[in-house]
Amino acid sequence: MAERELELIFGPQHLGMVGNLSISLNVEGDTILSARVNPGYLHRGFEKLMEYRNWIQNFPLVCRINMIESEPVEMVYAMAVESLAGIEVPERAHYIRTMIQEMSRLSCHLTAAWAYTSILGFDTPAQWAMGDRDYLLDLFEELTGARVYHIYNMPGGVRRDLPEGFEDKLLAFLDAVAGRLPDYNSTFFENRLFFERASGIGKISAQDAVALGGTGQVLRGCGIKHDIRKLEPYAAYGDMDFEIPTREGGDAFSRVLVIRDEMVQSVSILKQCIEKMPSGKVYEKTPNPFKWKIPKGETYVRVESARGEFGLYLVSNGGNRPYRAHFKTPSFVHGLVILEKLLQGANIADVGNIMLSLYVIAPEIDR
Amino acid sequence: MDKLVGLLKGIFKDTDGESLGKNRLRVTAPRGSVLAVLDYLKASGFYQLKSISCVDWMDENEFELVYHVASMESPLHLMVKTRIARDNATFPTAIPIFKNAGIFEREIHELFGVEFEGNPDLAPLFLENWKEIPPFRKDFNMREYVKETYDSIPSFEEYQWQKEN
Repeated sequence: MAERELELIFGPQHLGMVGNLSISLNVEGDTILSARVNPGYLHRGFEKLMEYRNWIQNFPLVCRINMIESEPVEMVYAMAVESLAGIEVPERAHYIRTMIQEMSRLSCHLTAAWAYTSILGFDTPAQWAMGDRDYLLDLFEELTGARVYHIYNMPGGVRRDLPEGFEDKLLAFLDAVAGRLPDYNSTFFENRLFFERASGIGKISAQDAVALGGTGQVLRGCGIKHDIRKLEPYAAYGDMDFEIPTREGGDAFSRVLVIRDEMVQSVSILKQCIEKMPSGKVYEKTPNPFKWKIPKGETYVRVESARGEFGLYLVSNGGNRPYRAHFKTPSFVHGLVILEKLLQGANIADVGNIMLSLYVIAPEIDR
Repeated sequence: MDKLVGLLKGIFKDTDGESLGKNRLRVTAPRGSVLAVLDYLKASGFYQLKSISCVDWMDENEFELVYHVASMESPLHLMVKTRIARDNATFPTAIPIFKNAGIFEREIHELFGVEFEGNPDLAPLFLENWKEIPPFRKDFNMREYVKETYDSIPSFEEYQWQKEN
């Protein structure tokens, strides 16, 4: 025990804390000796609730696991049901799904950019990011009828086709946001203040990142080219031409720059989606949801969410509802294992900085 | 995939492997050898433990533990499964093999009540002052619990009646 050790509870009500998470820190001066993350403020027992509802009723439930980015959760559940029931998805639905995944990734990255820039005190780019995200939410509303929880993916495809003129609106948005990138660069990503604040902070080696179960930006920030979209292409990602951005540093700076490069890639994938969009139906008929029984079996499906690998282990015992569902969420390991490790020896002022650079979203941990 | 199953069967006599569609392999091992299988898999390139799932098969009076392991280079995803007795469930920890196993075991300990021997930290993770049986077990009735703890919401007629009187 150090001589002047203090226990400091950081969050959930704290200015430097985004999300419902609390961290108890053991500090000496302003150096953190050890940290322990206390999740559970948003535990709603979704996986248990899913066992009480039939296959279709679960869609409005699962998307609430992550309020920032609900699309990958819906997608992963739809893919799991399709894999258990053996449903084929039409080609056009694959493209629409890819498109909405990328829109969702872009909106999640913009939210992250807002949170990260405002925690470091860059207020102007923060407002821009939030404003740009809002245009995307408008597009979501036009496409799906909802801004945050879309409930758009269904087993066998998507709920409805693109509205008329949607592609043009999306293209106009993409051009606008791509045109704003130099402004983001000069105010934030290439700003000297940001470099000073983030480089060398929250550094993790590639070996540790793999051993502790890191995915997404945590791995790509250490120079490991790992992306489920390339490793095991789902939806229409096999037809898309894109790069996996990586950085070597392993610190907060590298992870944030990976996020920026991913946004550029997302814009390019979205443009390709619009260009290559095939025609045809968007929905494969499924049985009456009240009488739908899925054969006995189990499956593990995964997608690349904005924060890393998002997986679902789904078990059916031949009934009309899931027997067990278990989500593998990226924030679970990032927030509970890697964050605790990176906070050791860090400065109190960098808690939010490290947490957001790991892209920890609290509801995903608690589920 | 078949090569890996052959190798595993050669070393561990009582294990079984089965393909579950593209890039998915299910390995079933008895209680005694599952950690040895995990150790072997880690040495052959499956460095990352993605998650540990637990399934409650109440009718058979067994819990099923599923270790999800994957490598960084190949798209193969392995599910190493074992069954343990449901009453006073205990299982040795996997922390010596995978550093991040502790947190998944802590979650399973809280939600299913499986005791992981050798895990130094099995404190409650999500729940606070929980006094019932572990909530994710099949014999825990969520609807009954909600009714008893939080009272039910009155129906429209009841509500009108309360307002008038």
